[in-house]
Amino acid sequence: MTADDARVSDETLIARTAAGDPTAFDRLVRRHQAAVYRFARAAAPADDDAVEILRETFLAARRAASRHRDETSARPWLLALARQAIDRRRPRSREADLTPLRELARAAGWQSGGEGAIDESGPAVEAAFAALPPEDREILTLCDREYFTVDEAARVTGLSDAAVRTRLHRARLRLLARLREDAHGG
Amino acid sequence: MLADLSEHLDGRLGFDRAERIDEHLAGCAECGRLLGEVTAAVRALRQLPDEPLPPDVAERLAEALLG
Repeated sequence: MTADDARVSDETLIARTAAGDPTAFDRLVRRHQAAVYRFARAAAPADDDAVEILRETFLAARRAASRHRDETSARPWLLALARQAIDRRRPRSREADLTPLRELARAAGWQSGGEGAIDESGPAVEAAFAALPPEDREILTLCDREYFTVDEAARVTGLSDAAVRTRLHRARLRLLARLREDAHGG
Repeated sequence: MLADLSEHLDGRLGFDRAERIDEHLAGCAECGRLLGEVTAAVRALRQLPDEPLPPDVAERLAEALLG
């Protein structure tokens, strides 16, 4: 984003997009396309076409711009539209994660007697993150990469606040378990 | 205790609950270590550089939005 771009707020760009200004829409796309791409890559299965998800997201944003409310930040609004584009391709499983928390914690090293260190280097964390299921990558992207509030993450995913908290906690434990597994050749 | 670790890490627990967890952590090496490692993993995840948009993706998107 250039310094000139930064002076114009998302709200202004969305309002101008709603009024039919193609330049404003283009600037909105350029400002958020990388974040939508990262979210699509995290939340969608690997064989889904990220460009198609991006295209549907921004076309939906252009159509819905006049209904955008100022109190909703642009980024969660766009990622919620991306989430809908992903859902249209592949409806999400509504099955609850029933893995007992103690089991997840043990896989992450709890009650292991402190054996073995984990590798927290960038490449190790990147590989561990990539190996997680899309549901875990999605919630970690929203809460620990985009720094969304629980309320914003709930709006994107359609989950309750309580479900976001639970899913985030479980995803973090699975990330740690994966790091431990990778570090010890599991 | 296990269910509250992430909430504790994010500072979202009420004072009483956080205090009870701190008391537990002070006397339980296993839970203390788990919290330390989850915290370190989350910190490392947050420090990863953002993946840039590949140029071919930007080009394909620009074309798709024109069409």
